[in-house]
Amino acid sequence: MHGTGTGSSDPRRPDKEHRYKSSPNTQGAPDDLIPDYMNILGMIFSMCGLMMRLKWCAWVSLYCSFISFANSRANDDTKQILSSFMLSISAVVMSYLQNPQPMSPPWSPVFV
Amino acid sequence: GTQIWASSFYKEDLEDNEFAEFEDFEDEERDYQQVQAQNGRKTEKVQEVNEEQDGEEDDAIVEDDESEFDHFQDEEEFEGFDGERVGSSVRMDERGAPEITITKVPLHFRTDWDSFYLEILMVAGLVVYALNFFAGKSKNRKVANAWFTSHRSLLEENFSLIGDDGTKDNENPGLSKDSESVYTLWCSGRTCCEGMLVELKLLKRQDLVSVMAQFIRPSSDQVHIKVDMNKEDMDSFVFCLATKRSALRLSKDMADLSIYCPERRSVEKYGLPSNFSLLCEIVEVAASLLDSRIVTIINKYADIIEYIHFSDQFSGPKQSEDFNVTKLPDTKKVLIFAFNIPVKGKAIHEAVIQMRPLLQFVFYCMDKVKRFKLSKEAKNKAEKNRLRVEEAFLKTTHFVRAEAAAARREEKKRQEKERILLEDDPDKQKKWEDREMKRQMKKKAPKMKQLKVKAL
Repeated sequence: MHGTGTGSSDPRRPDKEHRYKSSPNTQGAPDDLIPDYMNILGMIFSMCGLMMRLKWCAWVSLYCSFISFANSRANDDTKQILSSFMLSISAVVMSYLQNPQPMSPPWSPVFV
Repeated sequence: GTQIWASSFYKEDLEDNEFAEFEDFEDEERDYQQVQAQNGRKTEKVQEVNEEQDGEEDDAIVEDDESEFDHFQDEEEFEGFDGERVGSSVRMDERGAPEITITKVPLHFRTDWDSFYLEILMVAGLVVYALNFFAGKSKNRKVANAWFTSHRSLLEENFSLIGDDGTKDNENPGLSKDSESVYTLWCSGRTCCEGMLVELKLLKRQDLVSVMAQFIRPSSDQVHIKVDMNKEDMDSFVFCLATKRSALRLSKDMADLSIYCPERRSVEKYGLPSNFSLLCEIVEVAASLLDSRIVTIINKYADIIEYIHFSDQFSGPKQSEDFNVTKLPDTKKVLIFAFNIPVKGKAIHEAVIQMRPLLQFVFYCMDKVKRFKLSKEAKNKAEKNRLRVEEAFLKTTHFVRAEAAAARREEKKRQEKERILLEDDPDKQKKWEDREMKRQMKKKAPKMKQLKVKAL
């Protein structure tokens, strides 16, 4: 069942080619917002990790920036991902430099 | 010396509580002092021996091999060294022993590693995430390449341009990677269509979170093929055949489906598997489109075909209800096919080969839609529908458009006033103000009918 249809032997029309202009996403599925959400979440967690010196916040922000990197799209600008990585790594390092106590899990009431 | 050692050892057993750690610290301190004391006595003995030796063998200087630095201990060795002055700076507590103030230094990093178990857990999690990222990324690339290589020959027979990376001279045609799990391919140069966009929406194997979410809500890799038809090659109808689950989602999400064919119909009478449902604007279209060949293919690949959506009023998902929409979104004539890649339990290559006939099915549908013409009354009905939608849209947005027009007029007037004010010669301003006054007066003046009385 060759897809040539009736009569016309060769369906190709080199003269009627259209270049691909990446049309806005009319495909149907809204583009997934996971990378953006994770980026914002990462920023928030690293901020509170830095301000309130909560170590588990810093670690969670590191995870968030990893996840947003994994789901990033090609046309996303890499600066945003790089900045979220820098922020979360600095949050982790800073919270350990201030006091190298081992981390207390978030459910323990002690504010380390 | 042994009793002290024994008693301290004995005490240690008694106070075996959580301060044992600090207990050792104090013991060490006490031992250190004892050792110091013994050293002190030893060095004095050595000094006495040295003096005796010096006395006997003045002529032969015997190097004291015990510790050459002993002379440092001797205070007379250094001129101007005032032993009393140094000692006085140390504050004496009541028992006369020098009071030692230990500055508060936080426990150092390397005290004991095993209390950092949470950190080790976190780092291990990151390592696992990274490993899964690379594994998933390569698996996705393999699936995408397998699909492309197996379908390449068929594409080359039907399209003159395959793969377009958007650059001017298109250096590397072929699959373009949108994200780790989405690959796109643009093909163009064929009869009856402007182009065909193939979008490989694979599972997010590179993201551990999505992999785990996959266990909860299983989904599958998908191939979305969107064919942009030429304006003259497609009649005006909206038709969608989908599995029940996606039919529900599509009829809610898609603008054209929700307007033109809101209700879902059963497909038994067309001989299609029951897990499909039909959304169709004009029933006659479905009857003539679903010919025997299409029905056989759909029956054969029922589990692979997700949905088929032909529409001449396609404008993507429904826009969110923002009110400043003043004109209808532009519509395109498209054929959309969504297939699932049956990778589960099969080798990638085998699964992808199995999908080749579906691409031929796409080409067959393109030619069929090109030849398909609506009957007269169906055509009228379709046109009527489109007009009705047009009017409905105009009515709802009339208010918004009127507002927009008023705002534009306001803006123009304000700019004109500004331009006049900037003018330097006063008479032009005066003339403009007179005209403005006259216009205001005319507007305020009561509406009177001017009766022309003919002169008799």
